[in-house]
Amino acid sequence: MDKQKARSTEMTRRGFLKMFGSLGLVGATATLAGCSKEPMGGKGWLPQQYQAASSYPSQVRGRVPIDPNNPSIMRDDEKCILCGQCLEVCEKVQTVFGHYELPVKDEVICVNCGQCTLWCPTAAITEKDDTARVLEAIEDPDTVVVVQTAPATRVGLGEEFGLPAGSWVEGKQVAALKKLGFDYVFDTNFSADLTIMEEGTELINRITKKSKAPLPQFTSCSPGWVKFCEYYYPDLLEHMSSAKSPQQMLGALIKTYFAKEKNIDPKKIFSVSIMPCTAKKFECSRPEMNDAGLHHGDETMRDVDAVLTVRELARMIKNKGIDLNKLPEEKYDQLMGTGSGAGLIFGATGGVMEAAVRTAYFVLTKQDVPEGLLNLKPVRGLEGVKEASLDIPGVGTLRIAVAHGLSNARKLMDEVRRGESPYHFIEIMCCPGGCISGGGQPRTALPPSNEVREKRIASLYAKDASYKLRLSHENPEILALYEKYLEHPISHLAHELLHTEYTSRGDKLTAKGSKLG
Amino acid sequence: MSKGVLVDLTKCIGCGSCTVACKLYNDNKFEKDSPAIGENPKLTDENWTIVTAKKTEKDGQPVWRYVKQQCLHCEHPACASACFAKAFQKTEEGPVIYYPHLCVGCRYCMLACPFDIPKYQWEKSFPLVTKCQMCSGKVAKGEAPACVSVCPTNVMTFGERDEILALAKKTIESDSKYVKHIYGEKEAGGTDWIYISDVPFEQLGFRTDVTTTPLPEYSHSFLKYTPYVIVGWGSLLTGMYLYTKRRNKIAQEEKKDVHL
Repeated sequence: MDKQKARSTEMTRRGFLKMFGSLGLVGATATLAGCSKEPMGGKGWLPQQYQAASSYPSQVRGRVPIDPNNPSIMRDDEKCILCGQCLEVCEKVQTVFGHYELPVKDEVICVNCGQCTLWCPTAAITEKDDTARVLEAIEDPDTVVVVQTAPATRVGLGEEFGLPAGSWVEGKQVAALKKLGFDYVFDTNFSADLTIMEEGTELINRITKKSKAPLPQFTSCSPGWVKFCEYYYPDLLEHMSSAKSPQQMLGALIKTYFAKEKNIDPKKIFSVSIMPCTAKKFECSRPEMNDAGLHHGDETMRDVDAVLTVRELARMIKNKGIDLNKLPEEKYDQLMGTGSGAGLIFGATGGVMEAAVRTAYFVLTKQDVPEGLLNLKPVRGLEGVKEASLDIPGVGTLRIAVAHGLSNARKLMDEVRRGESPYHFIEIMCCPGGCISGGGQPRTALPPSNEVREKRIASLYAKDASYKLRLSHENPEILALYEKYLEHPISHLAHELLHTEYTSRGDKLTAKGSKLG
Repeated sequence: MSKGVLVDLTKCIGCGSCTVACKLYNDNKFEKDSPAIGENPKLTDENWTIVTAKKTEKDGQPVWRYVKQQCLHCEHPACASACFAKAFQKTEEGPVIYYPHLCVGCRYCMLACPFDIPKYQWEKSFPLVTKCQMCSGKVAKGEAPACVSVCPTNVMTFGERDEILALAKKTIESDSKYVKHIYGEKEAGGTDWIYISDVPFEQLGFRTDVTTTPLPEYSHSFLKYTPYVIVGWGSLLTGMYLYTKRRNKIAQEEKKDVHL
């Protein structure tokens, strides 16, 4: 009897385990097979920001198109939440998206400004990463890697390392670049001064009718603006200064003047620029930007080989374990490492105009530049369109206008198109606030605030005011460059290396409001 | 009444919002090696809709057109007629939906579909068939599918099928740029998603050799006899069985008699 009972308990335990084992197996199979009587498919919008799955997508608005071959920006679909911030900035601030008729032609319309990378709340849209190519060049012992840094980078980079907006990190940035292994560090402020010499001379030629090109003259430093003009105002391209942007001028000189002075084979030079801008990546890839190559008889050679945004530079510095804050300040390399205050303020809206006016005044009158032109208030600040009239003794009144953000540019351009523009010289910067708030600068509050823009701008103007050298035409390295190499502004060689021409892109879209094309 | 979507391909700019919306709504995975947009995207078990960039020509000029692809939600779906388990069902509102719990995994639907839409979860241990459900839950409430509601250029119009068909006709008649063809009006006997374009559909990778006969009709003409065949054949065999059994029994009994 006892024996029998024991056996039955034993059997029960076994049966028990067996039963639960098979139940589990059936359950697992059913779960894995998705045994629910619901039809397949979603039950509501799922991303976190909607708090709970719901059927009505109140904050889902879509996004801008990005060509997979876009040289400046790219997008990670996985991070995109369709919030529509990119549409907002592209359509309302830059007036690119939504300003062309559908159907599209054979291009994804983009001016490469990269403002969408600053507005995107999840950083789904970013700059196209070129750091690997640069690191490869640095690691190659046969390659001489030369780098230039744009004016606005030195008031932006610090934010990536915890410093307040507008912190001045010029010397630390140079030190970091040397530490990363760049062989020569030059300053784009130098070529900004050079731009003033070339573009200023061009303006004077237009005003004095030495040149047949029409007035007003437009600045050409901002590649996003240039491409915008090629798309939407191709009929006005004659107004665009033929002077290249400072980045491309310095690029061409690095592979000619610098190579000659240092006796380096230009084929061994890899030229990098650190820019607050994603459009610069597009600019350096424009087919015609190979003037140094043409000069040497090798048309495959690019004037600038790679452009890194400030964010990419910050990533490189962090990846190497360098603490920017602890670096000592270092100086730019000589030859093309000195920039004036005029070159420095290229980074802010109105800065190119102010720099040009200072030098134009001197060239036209041969007199010292008055104090008022060293603090040209009417063209400073964040107002969308700014204008001023300046009396230049012996010449007359010079009328100037400044706009930043492409929606503001349209106002001045429509005026020119109607033949009603009273100005001699118009400065346009693609990004709101100028380069200091360019698409390659550190991401800030979303969307970028004027408070940050103002701090970065104030930092540039404060440094300009503290400089002894505030006039482009007094920059000793510029004088040396003309004496040793280029002879004079718009000389034959200067024209070959420092000037360019523009392509109409009017046939790539049908602009809204026009029945052309 | 059946709901449908009119896709005006001339308005698409290729942003791919619809493909992301589809994944966000249906909780499908993003797979780096099978993108949902670009020049060569593929419909997969995770990509229920894709947008293909087609670099083609119009009037001798190069043009880029973007083609959104997903289940066309046929009015007479071949997948549903091929499915003997009733895992595919055409709803009254329009969507052709899939019930995983009914599926036996035979994949007849994949062979039946003339547009090659249903995809199989090949990498899963207990795979299912997948395809666009036209956000059937939303459509049942009268709302547009997720992809339609996020399009920034209003490529897609959601509505009653006859209304959007009338709109399509009006659009292609009033604007000379459109080709005079509404894809899906007659293809496969009519689909709930219909397309209009300014570039011929065959240039955009659409299958234009699809029959206009509703596909289920082909098999219906003989498959409708299936129940009679089953019942008739069954009765015949049963009868024969009973007859043989009885004959054997009698024969055995007769044998017994002989031995006695």
